[in-house]
Amino acid sequence: MFNSKRFLLFIFLIPFFTFDAIAQNNYTINGVVKDSLSGETLIGVTLKFTASGQSGTSTNAYGFYSYKLSGGEYNLNVSYIGYKSINKKIKVNSDIRLDLNMIPENILEEIVISAEKRNDNIINAQMGVAKINLNEIRNVPVLFGERDVLKTLQLLPGIKSAGEGNSGFFVRGGSIDQNLILLDEAPVYNASHLLGFFSTFNSDAIKDVSVFKGGMPAQYGGRLSSVLDIRMNDGNKKEFTAEGGLGLISSRLKLEGPLLENKSSFMISGRRTYADAFLALSSDSAINRNTLYFYDLNAKVNYQIDDENTIYLSGYFGRDELGLSETFGFDWGNATSTLRWNHLFSNRLFSNTSLIYSNYNYVIQNFLEDNNFKVNSSIRDLNLKQDFQLALNNSHNVRFGLDLIRHTISPGSITSSATSSVNEITIEKRKGSEIAAYISDEWEVNDKLNLVYGLRTSSFFLFGPGEFFTYDSEGNTTSSRVYNSGQLVQSYINLEPRISASYQLNGFASLKTSYTRNAQNLHLMSNSTASSPTDLYIMSSNNVKPELADQISLGYFRNFMDDNYEFSTELYYKKMQNQIDYRSGTDLRGNTKVESELLFGDGRAYGIEFFLKKRFGKLNGWVGYTLSKTERQFNDIDMGEWFNAKQDRTHDLSLVGIYKAGERWTLSSTFVFNTGNAVTFPSGKYQINNRTFFSYPKRNSDRMPDYHRLDVSATLEGKPNRKLKSSWSFGIYNLYNRQNAFTIDFREDPENSSRTQAVQTTLFGIIPSVTWNFKF
Amino acid sequence: MKYLSNNYKLFIYTIAAIFSLSSCEKVIDLELKNAAPVIVIDGTISNQNENHTVRISRTIPFDSTTTFKGVKGAKVTLKSILGQSFAFTEVTDGVYRSSRFRGTPSLSYVLEVSADGKTYSAESTMPFPVVPDSVGFRTLSFFGDSNIYPVVYYKDPPKVQNQYRYILKVNDKLQGDLVFEDRFNDGNAVSDIIIFDGDIKKGDLVEIEMQTIDRNVFKYFFALSQIDGNGGPPVAPANPNSNFSNGALGIFNACTKSTKSVIVK
Repeated sequence: MFNSKRFLLFIFLIPFFTFDAIAQNNYTINGVVKDSLSGETLIGVTLKFTASGQSGTSTNAYGFYSYKLSGGEYNLNVSYIGYKSINKKIKVNSDIRLDLNMIPENILEEIVISAEKRNDNIINAQMGVAKINLNEIRNVPVLFGERDVLKTLQLLPGIKSAGEGNSGFFVRGGSIDQNLILLDEAPVYNASHLLGFFSTFNSDAIKDVSVFKGGMPAQYGGRLSSVLDIRMNDGNKKEFTAEGGLGLISSRLKLEGPLLENKSSFMISGRRTYADAFLALSSDSAINRNTLYFYDLNAKVNYQIDDENTIYLSGYFGRDELGLSETFGFDWGNATSTLRWNHLFSNRLFSNTSLIYSNYNYVIQNFLEDNNFKVNSSIRDLNLKQDFQLALNNSHNVRFGLDLIRHTISPGSITSSATSSVNEITIEKRKGSEIAAYISDEWEVNDKLNLVYGLRTSSFFLFGPGEFFTYDSEGNTTSSRVYNSGQLVQSYINLEPRISASYQLNGFASLKTSYTRNAQNLHLMSNSTASSPTDLYIMSSNNVKPELADQISLGYFRNFMDDNYEFSTELYYKKMQNQIDYRSGTDLRGNTKVESELLFGDGRAYGIEFFLKKRFGKLNGWVGYTLSKTERQFNDIDMGEWFNAKQDRTHDLSLVGIYKAGERWTLSSTFVFNTGNAVTFPSGKYQINNRTFFSYPKRNSDRMPDYHRLDVSATLEGKPNRKLKSSWSFGIYNLYNRQNAFTIDFREDPENSSRTQAVQTTLFGIIPSVTWNFKF
Repeated sequence: MKYLSNNYKLFIYTIAAIFSLSSCEKVIDLELKNAAPVIVIDGTISNQNENHTVRISRTIPFDSTTTFKGVKGAKVTLKSILGQSFAFTEVTDGVYRSSRFRGTPSLSYVLEVSADGKTYSAESTMPFPVVPDSVGFRTLSFFGDSNIYPVVYYKDPPKVQNQYRYILKVNDKLQGDLVFEDRFNDGNAVSDIIIFDGDIKKGDLVEIEMQTIDRNVFKYFFALSQIDGNGGPPVAPANPNSNFSNGALGIFNACTKSTKSVIVK
């Protein structure tokens, strides 16, 4: 295993060094691109150097770019959505440091068809990626008027909502835990509040959101389906600003400003819901002593030591609190922090070192005297990442690095007082490490062909201490062994090749293809149809093998009308191995032998996605449509037949329209339609002990009713040129009050016990919202 | 733990209701598939000296107005591992009854049913009995809904895995069928709160039958309860693993039982 790995690494390294040797480019141009007003660095800005051809680069996650050029004169074109393009002549006869400031423009006001090409989507070899522009989603209507990147994300093809009003999502047939959600590089294990109705990401604090649903670059790994990479704002470097909003169920406030002129700035942003304020209004003491709220806090500081060194420290803390007066308490939340150091080893070798901490835990408390107990459960990560980005020459951009993660999972410890009937139980902690190394090269082979190819080797090690059981295929214990602290229990090594290519057919159309393999060593245990904050993570082990996915995709990308319209279609096929399901009657709570309850099988997902977007003008927006199929196969379920996964939805359509109606009004609307989820309905009934029960056919062979919904919103901007900028957002969720089925339950007819009935529960009918936002 | 899970659904709906005040329920017409009838065997024997019953039926369509379609003319035999044999005779369509006898705790029993040329058999081991010390009541409130629930007090035997089943009747009407285990309270003085959908008022006659059941029977009833969302959010519904062979639905339960009746004061 190890030899073949080395050999492969060697093969991958050859092209980089040979190309470097023959490179004829003599000079390096580098720098940082920033917003001219706030001093925020800009991610993904395109820089093009035109003398001959159309070569160029783009800024990385820290706004940095580096490019090699031979001597001569170039036209530099710098473009970024939402900003005025920069065109300037540069003369290259030495290495150049060129920092750029871009002036923001209100994209909605722009009707002029821009002269320059904005066709990165065509040229770039990366596929299966979507970026969310925070300005763009500002006006997309959402539930309760709470802007939410995770919900806006679900309006893109290939990304499906896990349920009504739910911030959980499925990407190309994958489950919720197969999405890697990163906030400033720190994994967020439970990205939702209040059982899924809100995401943990407060839009105020977010600068950039990218989601990779296929063709995942080699620097990312650890999950099968997708990576959602969310970057927080650094903080305004030029002036102190405050912004916030008052909504029906929550309020937000963000403060940011410089600490040292042009050197250091900070950002702090908070949000709290006050749903329980309504509870307190009740005169019934059984209601007003309950609690139900969540809050989030994001904070970041940065310090630019010199042109070569910048340090960032960012953190997130969020918590949900639920309490029933004097009987029951339940709270959960994430805490993450990231310390980063950007360093320029040379003008073309960029380095980032990150030290990351992430913790998710929940606490359940029962205060009833004779049954009292307290459950604590957590997953904690310590993560060191070292990433290098090397501009080898104008046709090779190399990225390589290391990713070391230490996981500690405490599945649960139960404590109780002496008067309680509940025993104190602690389920053993589990410790494991993931070590990954990666290298990739973005290679402009020629004017038409672009390649990104790379390799990630991921290894996983499960360590003692603890007693580890081995189970047979029936779930019976066959052996057990006690391991000492630090003793290796099990290890896995996986090679994950990643390759994508684009071939430009002409200036406005290209074909792309990609193949990726991903491995996953953390598995979320949830045998229910909905996710819960108490869902537990386990690691790969002697019983649980790493989940694997191989995905191939093929795409056609085309821009119309001077890049005003963008169209893409992607066809994908994904094969998944070592997928997890559960035996009948499994109780995952406080289970010391969880792994004995698991079934292992395969999955497959395939589909075609269409995306058409109007990028500029008074009216803009997009249409996304996905036709897909997702199935699973387990030997112990339905005699090994393939069955529809719960993620399977044949049709999924989203329409988003944003219309700038005048100086101050913006109107927007979204419409979604999808085939109902695959579910299992009764196929008959019978009696046991005079109670009626149902018999069920093959798993997920039925469908919930089709889901559709229209939302609208209107935003009124305050009068311009005032110190205090304010706006009002009015929204209506589910405008035509569609009674979408959240659940369908079956029960005896209360009027006539010999009859049985189906009962549909609708969660959200028509819901108006209003939010007042301000900034000064 | 039970306390949490029983109320999970309530939490979701409460949260939704607080935010939207628009969560609503309605009875809908659904076209359901009708699978070919499958045999269902519901057999219980206990440590009480009584006529034990085995009910054999077939599954019926969901929208059928009948509740029980008995299978006539089946051959039902019960054997203990000690070789004792007990005969069951058909008393009405699909209902088979034994003569009076008392099951013995710790013995395994095999129930064999032959019907329509097929034989189905199941094994269940009768656990040692645990009897309730007393039954009490407790008022619990969930977001303003105050209800009275029965509480069963008993001493759990230490160092053995025990499973319990409660059958709750209020004023002679069957209200609930719940299973518990001693995973979290082994060997302790336990008070199990019987949370069910109905309501109890002062003056009601509450009857609780407490059973000790074997592991497979517990898993069967626990799986059934999970479909209703009793074990947290509902699991994907499926037929629970029956202890009968040959694809029969239902369960054979060799249990001990004792009953307590209390009037709510």
